Amino acid sequence: MIRRLLTAFLIFGTCGMAMAQKSTPANLAQVKGGTFVPLYGSNGKAVSVQGFRMDKYPVTNAEYAAFVTKNPKWKKHAVKKLFADANYLRHWTSDSNVGKNADKLSNSPVVNVSWFAAKAYCECQGKRLPSINEWEYAALASETKANASKDAKFYQRSLDWYSQPNPKYLPPVQQSFRNYYGIYGMIGLVWEWTSDFNSNMLIGESRANSSLDRQLFCGAGATGASDVQNYVAFMRYAFRSSLKANYTVGNLGFRCVQDVKNQAIAKK
Amino acid sequence: MNTMRKYTTATLLLLAIVLGACQGEQSIIKATESATLAPTTGSTEISEMSLYNLDSDWQNQNSETLKLQYLQGKVQLVAMIYTSCGYACPRIVADLIRIEASLKEVKREDVGIVLVTMDPAWDTPEKLSAFAKENNLDPDRYKLLTSKQENIQELAALLNMKYKMSPDGEIAHSNIISVLNAKGEIIHQQEGLGADPNETVNAIKGLLHKI
Repeated sequence: MIRRLLTAFLIFGTCGMAMAQKSTPANLAQVKGGTFVPLYGSNGKAVSVQGFRMDKYPVTNAEYAAFVTKNPKWKKHAVKKLFADANYLRHWTSDSNVGKNADKLSNSPVVNVSWFAAKAYCECQGKRLPSINEWEYAALASETKANASKDAKFYQRSLDWYSQPNPKYLPPVQQSFRNYYGIYGMIGLVWEWTSDFNSNMLIGESRANSSLDRQLFCGAGATGASDVQNYVAFMRYAFRSSLKANYTVGNLGFRCVQDVKNQAIAKK
Repeated sequence: MNTMRKYTTATLLLLAIVLGACQGEQSIIKATESATLAPTTGSTEISEMSLYNLDSDWQNQNSETLKLQYLQGKVQLVAMIYTSCGYACPRIVADLIRIEASLKEVKREDVGIVLVTMDPAWDTPEKLSAFAKENNLDPDRYKLLTSKQENIQELAALLNMKYKMSPDGEIAHSNIISVLNAKGEIIHQQEGLGADPNETVNAIKGLLHKI
């Protein structure tokens, strides 16, 4: 009992933002549960996704700077190489904030962060990283439809977005594409970390000869693509499978999600 | 008076937790679990790339709680398994036994073998213990570990393991045997089943030579 109380204190106490976020979920959008067929990993069968709340925007440089200030072990020069490679926060000129380009980048998505850093950030907010299935499910939405996977125009637009080079300064998160749920920038802004990015069974060799290395992977039956037409999703899956947990990339950011049931407990 | 003391303890604990920031929950577990194994070589400075930077709590096949730092001080071979699997896991254990067979001239206490479950919901310490017995794994050498799902996922990410639970309960996963030096840094990785163990054996011998 005491332990449970302590844990509750811990969640609210350590990372001060958590409570504020819970009472004002203005930054979160509700994604209603449902089913969809992911590109990989389900043998072409529909999987169900429980309803969840997702950050409306990817985490910005300003928000990440606030986190780093509270958790100095995630400062640019303090971080352990095991948890983030040498390019961690490379676009920041200061150890604990954006520095020189703050006017241009404060509200832009934070990039050059590792999976460990993203995960730690979300945990400090009382949230977590989305799973691949959650992320892909939320990304099916166009402006008007929760599932626009059959919408040829939406697909073409997504493809066009991915073919554009990254701008020198990423735009503020509020300026990006807003989908059906009120979530911004799922397509056309940055790549995003997922909690289970390392559940992708695609590897370099498998892309080269289109068959999996049976000695390296077991249970590989679940690895074929369900919809070979969906090149947009394929790019995301391929990109994820090329990542390692301490990698930091110049156009890879993240956002957090929260379980709906946690929300209910917090309200009590 | 007694209640008073209880409150003081609680306050102190709370303080410790708050100071420990996001690591807090682990301090609680540490404070309440009794069968906790301490690191063998004391808490020396942990290097930047050491897997022992992970602060999570683990249980071995004897239900004892430990930090990964407990594995510090000797060469460790690390692989991931799940005991309900039919095809790959006995084979990865077979590969480990092959490596072991080539290490006869090496002192037993210099090399440990760690098997980490990918399926903590099924693989309780009891199941891991039964698996070790079935496969005649020497308890002095083999540590079978489980933890919370998210801790396992972190370790798997560091070991470059890819794995995925399928809807049918099977786990699709890569087969990797990692060699850690005494500090817990990854020195070598053997990928794939039935691979020639020579390189791995040489990596281990190279490390032992340095010690």
